[in-house]
Amino acid sequence: MSLLEIDHISKRFGGLLAVNDVTFDVGDGEIVSMIGPNGAGKTTAFNCITGLYPVTSGDVRFDGVSIVGLPPHRITALGITRTFQNIRLFSFMTAVDNVMVGEHSRMHAKVWDAILRTPKARREERAVEGHALTILSGLGLERYADMYARNLPYGFQRRLEIARALASGPRLLLLDEPAAGLNPQEKNELMGVISHLRDEGLTIFLIEHDMRVVMEISDRIVVLDYGEKIAEGSPAEVRNNPRVIEAYLGSGATTQMHTARSTPLRPANPADDEGERPA
Amino acid sequence: MLETPVSPIPADSVDLPATAGQTREVESSAIFWLLAVGGLLLVAMGWFLPWFVEPTANGIGFSPQDVVSSSPTGVGTVLVYVMGAAMLALLAGLVVDAVAVYGHRGRALRYEGARAVLALTGVVCTLAIWVLIGLSHEEPLFGALSASAQTDNAVWMTLTGFAICAFAYGLRPWIIRHTSVSLAGVAFIVGGLVPYIFNQSSDFISWAAGSLAIYTLLGLGLNVVVGFAGLLDLGYAAFFAIGAYTAGSLFGSRHGVHEIPFWVIIFLGAAVAALFGAILGAPTLRLRGDYLAIVTLGFGEIIPDAANNNLFSQTGGPNGISGIDRPGFGHFDFGTDYRYYFWALLILISLVIICMRNLERSRLGRAWVAIREDEVAASATGINTVSGKLLAFAIGASVSGFAGAFYGAELGIVTPEDFRFAVSVTALTIVVLGGIGNITGVAVGAMIVTFLIFWVLPHMTEWSTTVGHTTGITQLSTVPYEQYSFVVYGVMLILIMLLRPAGLLPSRARKVELQTGMESESLAAVRGTV
Ligand SMILES: Nc1ncnc2c1ncn2[C@@H]1O[C@H](COP(=O)(O)OP(=O)(O)OP(=O)(O)O)[C@@H](O)[C@H]1O
Ligand SMILES: [Mg+2]
Repeated sequence: MSLLEIDHISKRFGGLLAVNDVTFDVGDGEIVSMIGPNGAGKTTAFNCITGLYPVTSGDVRFDGVSIVGLPPHRITALGITRTFQNIRLFSFMTAVDNVMVGEHSRMHAKVWDAILRTPKARREERAVEGHALTILSGLGLERYADMYARNLPYGFQRRLEIARALASGPRLLLLDEPAAGLNPQEKNELMGVISHLRDEGLTIFLIEHDMRVVMEISDRIVVLDYGEKIAEGSPAEVRNNPRVIEAYLGSGATTQMHTARSTPLRPANPADDEGERPA
Repeated sequence: MLETPVSPIPADSVDLPATAGQTREVESSAIFWLLAVGGLLLVAMGWFLPWFVEPTANGIGFSPQDVVSSSPTGVGTVLVYVMGAAMLALLAGLVVDAVAVYGHRGRALRYEGARAVLALTGVVCTLAIWVLIGLSHEEPLFGALSASAQTDNAVWMTLTGFAICAFAYGLRPWIIRHTSVSLAGVAFIVGGLVPYIFNQSSDFISWAAGSLAIYTLLGLGLNVVVGFAGLLDLGYAAFFAIGAYTAGSLFGSRHGVHEIPFWVIIFLGAAVAALFGAILGAPTLRLRGDYLAIVTLGFGEIIPDAANNNLFSQTGGPNGISGIDRPGFGHFDFGTDYRYYFWALLILISLVIICMRNLERSRLGRAWVAIREDEVAASATGINTVSGKLLAFAIGASVSGFAGAFYGAELGIVTPEDFRFAVSVTALTIVVLGGIGNITGVAVGAMIVTFLIFWVLPHMTEWSTTVGHTTGITQLSTVPYEQYSFVVYGVMLILIMLLRPAGLLPSRARKVELQTGMESESLAAVRGTV
């Protein structure tokens, strides 16, 4: 049964077709990875799914319901949350506040509750704070709870973004290059976290350049190149797919794929900060 | 929803850098100093005030030391001496501290319990004397001093200052632990006493009710938009105008609905202003920064212009709406006695501040901060940024709607000229000067700005004429000081940006934001990546 259905979506930026007629599914309880060279359109696809960009054509269905055209917060409330390729925490909020923002869509306090601090609002605040602290300690972040997000060590900032995404109680978690910039030890921990989340019933869809991470944890892999899906399948199938090898290396040995794309320095890419939503 | 926690991961054992707790400590001591210095200032002002006030016929005893030197009798004597002893003992404690700090040995704060007792004794005696003087209209309890004596302002200022100093100094540990409560308590009590302290100078009370209190409300409301949600609004006076005209037309002579009590009408004023806040908010939601500022600026100009052009023949054109009824309770009428407006506004401001503090710590308050910091991330995290911003505009506008309704009732007339750009500038200056996003800061900013603009500037002519007469420089009496209000704003803003860019009492996050902003900018300059 597929939780997320991407149905022939395209996204055009002026003359550039960043995502071109891409179709695939993410099944319930799966870990699916999306890979592809820089500028392949992976982040753009994420932005289309989460409602940050309107799709040019095509449909996205979550749990059988079309979510195209919904504003991002509605999509979050339906159960899809994400992290960003370039960490986008609320830097001058404490870690626990960041997670509490994540709980926003699950809270019910209305304006009047907020202004008058009604017992209902108070109860909810307490419950939410407790829940936020639980999430933080689940990710090993409890000692940072009262620190400004920007003061956390880099690896912990990545983890805090995951904590914030988990706070809304999602069914599908989108991770945009969660391992970027992490050291090998942190990458192992991250993989532990991801598989653990899946064991708890979460579906995970991630973009990742690190082939070791991708190959080890993915149930399935989708490969994008120049906006088009060029392959899809199990890690073994994708690894040996000639089109994938060509896309990555022009031509050459498959073994090189392990290192070829994990270099931190990549060409500038306007979508790396999803700053403005196009009109 | 994830009920069970995710598998724990060993966190590296790193030393934590400065945490929130320490920052709170620093903030608390800022509040302590605010109280301590404020109290001392009041004492000093009380002491020196008689030098500036002309002696009058019945002018016996020009300064507060006369409370003692006019040989008090009866209950008064005991109280005065007990208060004096407590104050001297506290002063001795101050010296002990100074020595301890100077000599780098011993704790700065010793005998805490004794100090607390002394402080409370001092405060209670001071307030008792205060009340006794106030009650003794006929027979002075304290020698020549009575409520109607010319020296009241001075004596009462000094007594209030004494009480604050005793409280601040003697109960320092308690204050640092309960900053908001102590600051709010002192502000509320002293605020409530202002009409008594200045019972001799009715124009000071009209300043307090007409400028200070009104602009405090405006600052608090604008702080929601600019400080909490981070949306720059240059036309805030528009909502003030809308509130004032709404209340004015319902309560004024034109089509006065005299049956509705004023206390209902101020809420109507607030509601209409909130509605307009949302109406202005809706088309500007997609705009940011400069663009938003320009649109709000335009709105701020349109509203008084529309009123000036007698919109729908309802606003009375340049003459505005006059004959606005005075509010009151039942048969009791506020009339033109500014003391009642001041007290009513004081209560309203206290309620608004409580609501603001609630908002700050609520789901909505967090959403505003998130929108301010990163709108995209906020919306992806589940926040409806559209309704968040609309609510910021609406709530901000409603507070100025209250202010507008009161303003009209106080003056009995509203005209378009009361709501020009200068009002928006004043409100914005208050917020920036006090500390963007900090409620206490806004209150302090309102005091400073309105004191300079609406008290010092209008009196400058008078003062400098006096100085001109004594010194023989006649030109001094012809300087049009009141035209220099924008110069004062400019100088204030430049100084604050140079000296304390986050405002006098910065909000925690803003302080760090600014500091790191500067650091990373200068780092970028070093790396040559600017
Ligand atoms: N908002 C935008 N406006 C214009 N072009 C865009 C925008 N966002 C993305 N693009 C372009 O779309 C293409 C796909 O970008 P995208 O960020 O999706 O790539 P990616 O696969 O995530 O790459 P990377 O691995 O570097 O993150 C790029 O050529 C990029 O320049
Ligand atoms: Mg990307």
